[in-house]
Amino acid sequence: MSTRRSNSIRRSPVLIYLPIAEISVNMLIIVGMGGAVGFLSGLFGIGGGFLLTPLLIFSGIPPVISVATVASQIVASSASGALSYWRRNMIDVKLAAVLLIAGVGGSGIGITVFGALRRLGQLDLIISLAYVTFLGLVGGLMLTESVRAILNAKRGRPAPLRRPGQHIWIHGLPFKMRFKRSKLYVSAVPIVVLGFGIGFLGTLLGIGGGFIMVPALIYLLRVPTNLVIGTSLIYIVGTMSMATILHAMSSQAVDFVLALILMIGGVVGAQFGARIGQNLRGDHLRALLALLILGVGVRFLGGLVTIPDELFSLTVLEGLLP
Amino acid sequence: MRRLATIAGLVGLLTLGNQAWAEQLTVALSTPEIRIGSNFSGVPVTVFGVIEPDAQSASHVGKYEIATLVLGPPESVVARRKDRILGVWANSASEIFLGAPSFYAADSTGEIADLADAEILKRMRLGFDNIGFTYRDRVGRDNPGAAEFREAFLRIKVKEGLYTEQAGGVGMIGKSIFRTTVWIPANAPIGFYQVSVFLLADGELIARAGDSFTIAKTGSEQFLFNFSRNEAFIYGVVCVAMALFIGWLAGVIFRRD
Repeated sequence: MSTRRSNSIRRSPVLIYLPIAEISVNMLIIVGMGGAVGFLSGLFGIGGGFLLTPLLIFSGIPPVISVATVASQIVASSASGALSYWRRNMIDVKLAAVLLIAGVGGSGIGITVFGALRRLGQLDLIISLAYVTFLGLVGGLMLTESVRAILNAKRGRPAPLRRPGQHIWIHGLPFKMRFKRSKLYVSAVPIVVLGFGIGFLGTLLGIGGGFIMVPALIYLLRVPTNLVIGTSLIYIVGTMSMATILHAMSSQAVDFVLALILMIGGVVGAQFGARIGQNLRGDHLRALLALLILGVGVRFLGGLVTIPDELFSLTVLEGLLP
Repeated sequence: MRRLATIAGLVGLLTLGNQAWAEQLTVALSTPEIRIGSNFSGVPVTVFGVIEPDAQSASHVGKYEIATLVLGPPESVVARRKDRILGVWANSASEIFLGAPSFYAADSTGEIADLADAEILKRMRLGFDNIGFTYRDRVGRDNPGAAEFREAFLRIKVKEGLYTEQAGGVGMIGKSIFRTTVWIPANAPIGFYQVSVFLLADGELIARAGDSFTIAKTGSEQFLFNFSRNEAFIYGVVCVAMALFIGWLAGVIFRRD
């Protein structure tokens, strides 16, 4: 059972050692991934965490490191947008504060579940299952909606508009709060549930959750569309900052070097994406994004149902004894 | 050098008891410390040494064989097996290895099995079959109940480049100088690495010597790692601050309004 070993010095200037992940990676590939996801996030106006975390996992970075590090990358990619909406006063601060308080709680529970799953050795499985579920659901809904819009536009029919102000089940809930900026008087229950749930998922999966938050604010809470993006961004900056700190303390898997490379690639890529996105039609953009989301979901599903090349895995126990 | 040889000889004598063979082994490494910097992508370590026959007593008749063994810091590892559960491949059965070498490189002049009989090889932990794993939930070494996990462990470690066997890896220069090169990959864990060198002839162990080296992070890699472990909260806050700064900077540089 003799194995071949390379004795040549394989030193290349593009390889960079990640001090927390303790592996050496090709810097160009990481910058490229950060840039590509940044480009898409600029193009589609999304955070991109749900693309970046899977890309890192697929490229061989351990899921724990990927999730924890992308949390900090999301802070960077959302911060410039949040700041710009803040300057233009396009944020409902009170709504964002309520969402954020619930989000911090969700993040705290998320990190506990993350640690427990890791000890049980089921973290990768749950991450994959959650990605399949959410990406499948959101991607499927977006695709049907955008295809319908495209078909309607072809036939020259106007898209059916949902009328705001209709009475839905949400308005029957107790603990009503007034949000002056959004001209809303709604129950705090759905807001807290939303903030908590996305904070929980974001911390567990390494996503900002904008792709759930934005439609929820528009369709469930009927927040005026000009305030939705800014409020969602402020919320994401807050919860993902919390998630980063909690991951740094609990899973100790936030890799500073990896985060820095991803952030630089991401913010630069986003600028180019945003410029190209302005020249594309909204329904086409949404259809493309839906296909992308479904693609990532299918990739996760494939990993779950096909026979793995290696049935066994090793995990070094570092205070992780179950 | 002379003193080192004496020490090595003494160690050899102590471990071997009062045997008649008088060969002495002197061992040296190309580096006592491997420093991990930002461009670290693995490094070779050369083990070389000299066999010194004692002039006073008759030196050994047979051909000398040399085996070197590099052991990384021991670690406890959980090995998990995936099974199909409700159509999905999920981790189910597991086995916990206690104190397994994180890195293992056995090099020798010839096939390991030909060097000595099984008992001696086992004592030296030479060759994958002789490492001797212990499991948290099983009695004794290499408990057959965990055989499939043991095989998987070796297979994965070999694939990661952390476990190697090189029959013929040790080269002789003349009759008494030997050398071998062990590749330390970028994913080798940091810590204390033990090097053992065995001199064998006619299936018998006639001398042994040891040395060691360490793998440590240096510079910013060391700083960031220690920072993340010792001051986890502040480290997290610094990561967030960096993210906010880069986000702000991007907003300033690429401002469109």
